[in-house]
Amino acid sequence: MRFSPRSRPKSVVGRIPLTSMIDVIFLLLIFFMATTTLSTPESRLSPGLLEERAGGAASDLTPQVVRVERDGAREVFRLGERVFNDRRALVAALAELPKEPGVFVRASDDASVAGVAAALQACRDAGFTRVSYVPE
Amino acid sequence: MRRAPAKQRSHVPDIDITAMIDVVFLLIIFFMTTAQFARMTRADVRLPSEPGEEREARPEPTIIVNVGADGAIIIEQQQVSLDRLARMVSSEIARAGGDPAAVRLTIRADRTLDAGTLNDIARTLAGAGLRGVRVATEPPRGGSS
Repeated sequence: MRFSPRSRPKSVVGRIPLTSMIDVIFLLLIFFMATTTLSTPESRLSPGLLEERAGGAASDLTPQVVRVERDGAREVFRLGERVFNDRRALVAALAELPKEPGVFVRASDDASVAGVAAALQACRDAGFTRVSYVPE
Repeated sequence: MRRAPAKQRSHVPDIDITAMIDVVFLLIIFFMTTAQFARMTRADVRLPSEPGEEREARPEPTIIVNVGADGAIIIEQQQVSLDRLARMVSSEIARAGGDPAAVRLTIRADRTLDAGTLNDIARTLAGAGLRGVRVATEPPRGGSS
């Protein structure tokens, strides 16, 4: 029997050899999965920023200032006349202060960023919502 | 006449792998783009170890300022001076319609950096008209809130 030349052709898609492509794709996938370093999430402290200017606005309230200073190898927090070595004691002292006026954080030039962040965190932990960083 | 049994077709080509290839391509594109973004935005800085603030909505920062332990200011993988930083912040504020609150700046400073450099940067930013910054911290390991 003679077959008609108009017989239905087979699907072309089914004939494409996909094996090597899948191999390459899997290889790429494994490479990117292995080399990707998942970044750790970051938290953020958001202090306001104040510039110290001569003749600033006068206020009836005494500003509440936490100053970060270096004392030898360690860092201390000064709140008025009181000096704190421990952050928990600073948080406890800050918690007793009125929250409405807010609090200012300053740091001496020889302090570290870790100390500044610790002071900002202590202010937040004590319940202050208005925290400002004032550069010296 | 008895016909010989038809040659059995292989079952391998019958498996539909279109969906699998779709998913695999999607995964490749995902890993490629995430790796690229992470490299672009984050410099290698050891952040202060603090839990930070708990906030529901946290909009993405407009400018990320990386400050290394040596005091080098790096924005988008380029080292910039304080003057250039001030100009960038001023132009961002102008682009935001003159509203400093619309510009969200995050400082990623190394924990060992001296506060004197941070003071210089803060003074420059305040001088450029910025009214608030955010200091990036690294939550301590162990799941502290």
